[in-house]
Amino acid sequence: MTKFLRKHLLTLYAIAVFLYLFVPVALVVLFGFNDVKNRFNFRWAGFTLEHWESVFFGRTFGGVPGLWDATLTSLRLAFISSAIGTVLGTLIALALGRYSFRGKGTTNVFLFLPMATPEVVMGSSILALFLVIGLSQGFLTLLISHIVFIISYVVLTVKARIQGLDRHLEEAAMDLYATEWETFRRVTLPLIMPGVFAAFLLGFALSFDDFIIANFNAGPRVQTLPLWIFAANQRGIPPEANVVGTVIFVVTLGVMLLNVIWQRRQSAKEARA
Amino acid sequence: MTTTLHEPELARLARRRAMVPYLLLLPGMAWLFAFFLVPILRLIGVSLQSGIYPNYEFTWQWDNYARLWTQYGGQVWNSLRFAFIATVICLVLAYPLAYFIAFRGGRWKNFLLVLLLMPFLMPFLLRTLSWKIILADEGLVVGTLKSIGLLGPNATLLATSVSVIAGIAYNFLPFMALPIYVSLEKLDRSLIEAATDLYARPTEAFRKVTLPLSMPGVVAGTLLTFIPAVGDYVNVLLLGSPNEFMIGNVIQSRFLNVLDYPVAAALSFTLMAVIVLMLIPYVRATGTDDLVA
Amino acid sequence: MTENGIPAVELDHVTKQFGEFTAVDDLSLSIGENTFFAMLGPSGCGKTTTLRMIGGFEDPTSGTIRLHGDDVTGLKPYRRAVNTVFQSYALFPHMTVAENVAFGLRRQKVDDAEIKRRVGETLELVQLSARGSAKPKQLSGGQQQRVALARALINHPRVLLLDEPLGALDLKLRKEMQIELKRIQQEVGITFIHVTHDQEEAMTMADSIAVMNHGRIERLGSPSEIYEDPRTPFVAGFLGASNLMHGTVSGNDVGLPNGAVIRLTDHQAARCNGHREVQIGVRPEKLSFYGRGTSENTPANRLTGVIADASFLGTSTQYLVEVPGIGQVAVVEQNLGEIHAPGEEVVVAWKPEHTFVVE
Repeated sequence: MTKFLRKHLLTLYAIAVFLYLFVPVALVVLFGFNDVKNRFNFRWAGFTLEHWESVFFGRTFGGVPGLWDATLTSLRLAFISSAIGTVLGTLIALALGRYSFRGKGTTNVFLFLPMATPEVVMGSSILALFLVIGLSQGFLTLLISHIVFIISYVVLTVKARIQGLDRHLEEAAMDLYATEWETFRRVTLPLIMPGVFAAFLLGFALSFDDFIIANFNAGPRVQTLPLWIFAANQRGIPPEANVVGTVIFVVTLGVMLLNVIWQRRQSAKEARA
Repeated sequence: MTTTLHEPELARLARRRAMVPYLLLLPGMAWLFAFFLVPILRLIGVSLQSGIYPNYEFTWQWDNYARLWTQYGGQVWNSLRFAFIATVICLVLAYPLAYFIAFRGGRWKNFLLVLLLMPFLMPFLLRTLSWKIILADEGLVVGTLKSIGLLGPNATLLATSVSVIAGIAYNFLPFMALPIYVSLEKLDRSLIEAATDLYARPTEAFRKVTLPLSMPGVVAGTLLTFIPAVGDYVNVLLLGSPNEFMIGNVIQSRFLNVLDYPVAAALSFTLMAVIVLMLIPYVRATGTDDLVA
Repeated sequence: MTENGIPAVELDHVTKQFGEFTAVDDLSLSIGENTFFAMLGPSGCGKTTTLRMIGGFEDPTSGTIRLHGDDVTGLKPYRRAVNTVFQSYALFPHMTVAENVAFGLRRQKVDDAEIKRRVGETLELVQLSARGSAKPKQLSGGQQQRVALARALINHPRVLLLDEPLGALDLKLRKEMQIELKRIQQEVGITFIHVTHDQEEAMTMADSIAVMNHGRIERLGSPSEIYEDPRTPFVAGFLGASNLMHGTVSGNDVGLPNGAVIRLTDHQAARCNGHREVQIGVRPEKLSFYGRGTSENTPANRLTGVIADASFLGTSTQYLVEVPGIGQVAVVEQNLGEIHAPGEEVVVAWKPEHTFVVE
């Protein structure tokens, strides 16, 4: 017995840690099926599909006030902030990956700082700035602050992709009569697209899941999904929120799975050609 | 055609070509400058102000900083304590896991990494709140501990430092695991083979070769875990009580509830400064090029 | 050399500085039409920088570059009628072979039917007709290289630039491609400018070679010219063993430290330029062994020594002869039968016209 343990100790340990990682997630999914009428969703009371029904078929999430709006707001915010952040970050990544210039080291450090800064500090300092310039809290302040932390992560993701490309590809294109813009459009952009897309998804996920920055900068009139869940926590979170969380989890998982399958198909196709 | 005609033109051309990277950097960096750097630097100014919201005045109020130990010493201690314990827990959990994926993962390495990150697809607040269920008074965990006598019959783990630390450790595990994995993965296997060839037993080889060489990953993981953990406040709000308030909670409440911007700014800036100080030796050691990938 | 007097490529006092470092130092060069021209030299000598300036990827710090008489200094690559084959081939990974080859034509807005025809022709020229729809990563190194060549040639450039294109190929393939490239150049009839650090490659392929060192051209000429008359110690050593020896001039003779007297031709003697101390050299294959007794048939220039080393190389044997007062002299003899062994005392002799003087 001990010999078995010794040999497989590491594997068992790893399995235990993975279980530790997934149990809370599983509980979220499970308690979306909990048969509770009130919002005290901490003890199992039986299985029901009614919350799933109310999210998908009931009007605006079964009339749970604010949940539908909050989800929409989060989606809109994530999409716009990640789109802008991806563009800004990609430009920076192009500069860092393709050119040498003075101040590269400083730029790298400067880009690293947002990732190392506690969200409390970032969120609160931007709030103080908005107060001084007189910009009242709302969707715009939220958008601006989200873009700030997305940029560094985009640079991280895209720069890795750019550095893997042959340095001479752009020169070859210009040698073959493509102008700078044509070179970018037909050579650089298609080749960094996977990295740019991955960066967009990363930014989207970071924005969607953000609580702290939104806590500081959303203001009373705007609510994102995390803010809604937090507020609801005082009164009790309805199982509909679990359902929404589960849907998000499954959909993102599905997107990733499809991406992997699609890429495998591409490689197989190319291998056969 | 004489050559002297060309030099100034060529120099001008060279200058224009050199501008391109700066133009590319401009939009993003301007954004970061305006909405990241300026606000944080302004914290210094705000931290030396006093008054009632929204009319603060600059009065060299150094007292705001003194509050760190006169008034909020407890919360500072909580921050350091919780972050430290959570980091240690993460290290203990993450290192073997990273080792497992790197050395025993084989073809499944990428799949296992995805598995490691998958819980993050579930919204942060929801998955953290699950710990309320896990640590519920009559739940599996607490119930078992009570029945074997480790906990008294009326004990509760909810709204205690235990649940807060559990939440922090849970949420930061991948931050610790990934850097350790990366440095273990890059390890040259032939070094370990050389060690065993030179009569080292497996545990010795681990202690003398693998562990030291994985140190950069351990250091990176520790920093990536400890630093955000120190500033965290959400886990406390979800799983703890005012007794467990960390410095992040103070900053949040003074900013949003009490509207005492100067004190909050002082605390905020101090937190930032401490973190930067911790990072300087790290950045010096690894060099600036690898920071952003 | 040139058809109507206008060189294909002309560099006029071109200098390129990167900060403090001078990569190309006041270089002037004139390359004719329908020439296979090689730029040869060690890493860092400036040959690639010069090529890049001709292509338009770098601008000179000062100087003028002309293509067929037109001043192109400062023009972007897409405005120059030259094309480049890069060392790493730089094939666009997301396009097929055919799309890669057609890229230049598409940018010039050539119509589809014409493109299709010319792509077919060019792929046939490089013998890759069957691989048009493959992606670059599915091809071998040699095939990728040919695609890069096709992609450049299809645009009918007036000058083709090649930046060490054969470096990544294995020996056998490299030798095949050397012959292939030479053949294509002669068939197409345009000027090829080929950058390489491999002297054998340059001498095999080129009509004319510029040997570069520290940003300057040290020697310009045909392969045999620069080999037999290198003129500087650097060029002498770069192209093969040179057996350089110091000596004192008197008339047409050079006296060596060991007492031997070496005869020069009038042409070489003139090159001494009035200096008293000179360096002379002789290529190893020009040296032969003679018995200790000398006769009328023994060439005039002689050294006596002992064989220190003999390396059998298949077609030839390379010897190192220790000559007292001079040092080691390298001798290469074809293996026609007699092989000498270390320890043998020998006389090494050569004809005066095989001596060269270096500055």
